[in-house]
Amino acid sequence: MIPLLEARGLVKRFGGLTAVDGVDIRVGRGEMVGLIGPNGSGKTTLFDCLSRVTAIDSGSVEFDGTDITRFRPHEVARLGLSRTFQVIRVYRDLSVSENLELSIQWSRVGASGLFRRTDPATTRRVEGLLEFLLLGSLRHERAGALSGGQRRLLEIGMALMSEPRLILLDESTSGVNPTLVAEIADRLRAVNAEGVAILLVEHNVQFVSDLCERVVVLDQGAKLAEGTPDEIMENRSVIEAYFGAEAGAGG
Amino acid sequence: MVRVVAVAILAVLLCMPMLPGANDARLFTLTLMFTAVGVAVNWNLTGGFTGYVDFGHAAWFGIGAYTTAILMSLQSNGPQIGWPALPAVILGALVAGLLAAVIGRATMRLKGPYFSIAMLGTFVAVREIVRVWGGLTGGGVGLTLPPYLNRPLFYYIELGLVAALVAFTWWLRGTRFGAALVAIREDEIGAEMRGIDTTRLKVVVFSFAGFSTGLFGGLWAFQNTFVDPDIAFVELRTVDAVMGTMLGGLGTVAGPLVGTVLLFWLRELLWSHLLDYHLIVQGALLIVIVLFVPRGLVGRFDARGTSVMELWRRRPGRKPVGDSEEAGP
Repeated sequence: MIPLLEARGLVKRFGGLTAVDGVDIRVGRGEMVGLIGPNGSGKTTLFDCLSRVTAIDSGSVEFDGTDITRFRPHEVARLGLSRTFQVIRVYRDLSVSENLELSIQWSRVGASGLFRRTDPATTRRVEGLLEFLLLGSLRHERAGALSGGQRRLLEIGMALMSEPRLILLDESTSGVNPTLVAEIADRLRAVNAEGVAILLVEHNVQFVSDLCERVVVLDQGAKLAEGTPDEIMENRSVIEAYFGAEAGAGG
Repeated sequence: MVRVVAVAILAVLLCMPMLPGANDARLFTLTLMFTAVGVAVNWNLTGGFTGYVDFGHAAWFGIGAYTTAILMSLQSNGPQIGWPALPAVILGALVAGLLAAVIGRATMRLKGPYFSIAMLGTFVAVREIVRVWGGLTGGGVGLTLPPYLNRPLFYYIELGLVAALVAFTWWLRGTRFGAALVAIREDEIGAEMRGIDTTRLKVVVFSFAGFSTGLFGGLWAFQNTFVDPDIAFVELRTVDAVMGTMLGGLGTVAGPLVGTVLLFWLRELLWSHLLDYHLIVQGALLIVIVLFVPRGLVGRFDARGTSVMELWRRRPGRKPVGDSEEAGP
């Protein structure tokens, strides 16, 4: 069976630094995969390569059997690959509703749709997502006026708005209080249950273990390990990468 | 209330040529003001809505003016073969729009100050090409157009164009297209990742702004009856558009209109009372606007407006705005 996302031999260099070093990664349909690694291990750069926000030096990326290695980000998004960012990206001067309305599946917007404000289907989807993400009372607020946690939720909503088949979530719990982290986990499970695949970058290893069946570990730009959360927790190389050689030796 | 005031002002402007005291000189002054407003509204589409601050916008005005002048002053050894005004002005605008599409396709890959400088360079290059291409453009000597000095007609044409342009901008801002332009200004990478073809939208709006400013350029050439590189390609025309829009409110619909009208009359006042110092006062005004009214007069009441300072903060290499990492609710 063709995986939904498959990247082979991805390399990304910034001058003398190799940020992503020959990484292979695949995500199946409806799968939830965790991507973890110490700071600077190349997780976000890998996301940038997969979503085509940054150019790849070598390697290839296929999404649903289509080679997207040379695609532009909006073309990738229109195929059904959506993402959030480590540093939250919302349209600060637009309202919460407008942020969602603008995150529709643009491949379905024809020339006439471009010159409309919205349409009934979009309005229904926006309303549904506002309720789903607990943002209903904030729909008219400027996105720039929201708290960090609310903006995280809004960004997840924007990623969901286009009815994606795969979402790359980059540190979706960063800066979010523990109550809201649990809410986010519940929402991600619900989204995944509807068949949307998720690739999750997280520093919160417990969050990843609770949600994902499979975890990939990066270290210094290369893939260090891959397996179930339990296998990863017991992997000596992973422990060394996170806590140092001494901790790894101590088991 | 705003609509009532707008309709009242429009009614007065419509009656203006029939009012006592209205003469050709006054109508000409008002027509020039409409031209300045039109150019500022067009500049705001790229500079204010999309966040691409174009320092070479006056190039499209000059190209429209020159194309119109060349077509209307065509001569042969035999009969006069100059084009009538209407098709000449329209073709002038189309040439400006087409060149804007071609140049915008290349320059709009650049961000922030790099784009601004590239457009300033484009403006200077176009003016010099016009100056040295004497066989077609008349070089430094310029071109003379057939005279047609019907001031009230020009007055009504430009008033109608400006009113239509402001109405169009108001409508456009309410559409997905208009909101997407603001999204590009707010966060271009984010907009791309949400599926918006940012290059296409930027080039379309840049090209439309070029077309529309070219239209005003062609009309200006027709009523001025003469063009040369130094009066058709004037940097101050871009500076006026930038200042008027900043004074009124970048990225707002009414901002360029309000700001340019105020600036126009302020200049008339300064010109008549402080002839030697009027440019100094104008420069000081620009500094005051940036420091004390960064979002402009209308922008204070319009959340979708922005300021040059904010556009600068969003330049490449900076974090997107709205990214603080404080704990959630």
